[in-house]
Amino acid sequence: MVGSDDPAELIEAYYERGWTDGLPVVPPTEKSVAAMLAGAGLTGAEVIGEIPGRNTVVTADKVAINAVLAGCRPAYLPVVVAALEGLCHPDFAYHGPASSTGGSAMVLIVNGPVAPRLGINAGNNAFGQGVRANATIGRAVRLVMMNVMQTQPGLFDRATLGNPGKYAFCFAENEEDHPWEPLHVERGFRPEQSTVTVYASNSLYQVYNQLAAEPEPLLRCVADALGNLGVPNMKGFSQSLLVFAGEHSELFRQSGWTKRRVRDFLIEHTRRPVADWKRAGRLPGDATPGDATTLRRMFENPDDLLLVCAGGRAGSWSACLPGWGNKWTRSVTTPIRVIGDTP
Amino acid sequence: MTLFDPTSAPVARNIAVAPRPAGLRGLRLALVENTKFNSDTLLTKLGALLAREYGLTPVLMHRKRSPSHEVEEAAVAELRAKADLVVSGIGD
Repeated sequence: MVGSDDPAELIEAYYERGWTDGLPVVPPTEKSVAAMLAGAGLTGAEVIGEIPGRNTVVTADKVAINAVLAGCRPAYLPVVVAALEGLCHPDFAYHGPASSTGGSAMVLIVNGPVAPRLGINAGNNAFGQGVRANATIGRAVRLVMMNVMQTQPGLFDRATLGNPGKYAFCFAENEEDHPWEPLHVERGFRPEQSTVTVYASNSLYQVYNQLAAEPEPLLRCVADALGNLGVPNMKGFSQSLLVFAGEHSELFRQSGWTKRRVRDFLIEHTRRPVADWKRAGRLPGDATPGDATTLRRMFENPDDLLLVCAGGRAGSWSACLPGWGNKWTRSVTTPIRVIGDTP
Repeated sequence: MTLFDPTSAPVARNIAVAPRPAGLRGLRLALVENTKFNSDTLLTKLGALLAREYGLTPVLMHRKRSPSHEVEEAAVAELRAKADLVVSGIGD
């Protein structure tokens, strides 16, 4: 209890206890927490997920409190819950990406009808500020990580630099303006299902190409960004997320390039001579004459390249988001259970 | 006005700690390496040192799926069956 109903004093009380991400929170009430739980048809005692190695159990009541703190509407809670189920999935292997010096953002990619229904931005400034659903869903997940999943900076979050996406990183795929099938359909879900994909990335690099009139020159730029000498994932075949925006995705539509062709091209063109890696100190030893012509692959499987479309129609921009940690984590796509929807 | 605590503490678990061996000489040693760069090299040297200095017998090196993943139950069973003592280390 605190002896005041003054919102500013309440916000300070949450700061004093270390329960925020550094930004002011929305102080919860009995009514707002109950409404939040009702938004996902939950009562509070349900277990959303567990991280066995940390003895962590994520319960619905704590998720709801953190979602209120983050500024979520109750209708957003099913997306937050599904994202947390993804983080707790064994394939995601939460401990590494959450704790690493690499400082990963947990990228949330929302697919299906829930995205336009909740107003999750897939268009202009999809990664940026200004839309409540994107900002608060991503923020709620990070607050649960900090407050429930023991991922406090300096304790089990050992990020060297971190990145701004650690505050919140949620966007929707632009399924209305897409040359291919969207991510969730590719992963076996029906188009009318809603899903969220969780993916750990420690950086975001925007790729510019204004002159490419066909996919190949554009993809040469993308391959160069993916295969740079400082990229974290050269040792063990990470996943990488590529987000193509309007003008670039239009190139694929017009040319008829499939996702598979894009992936094969990128696997081929991200290979680099072993000599490059050795001279840069990314592989041990001195470069031998043969290393100049021995090419090392960046990607093992085509499906390790996640291809997603989002962003505005105007502008010659796409983005590379290298994945964290070799094969130590895999992105996970989880269905969103919205009240009233057919499962 | 009520504050709503958004935090959860880890759930307490009872862990049965194995009894300490009276001595190390002659015990079977298993090593668990986390797959990070040089982890296997470091642990192999550590195993040799323990053999030389304390008379342990290295019998097994288990390679984890990744540093992020826990040791699988099947591997735990194998370690329990084949070793008296396990060293789990990290390399990078």
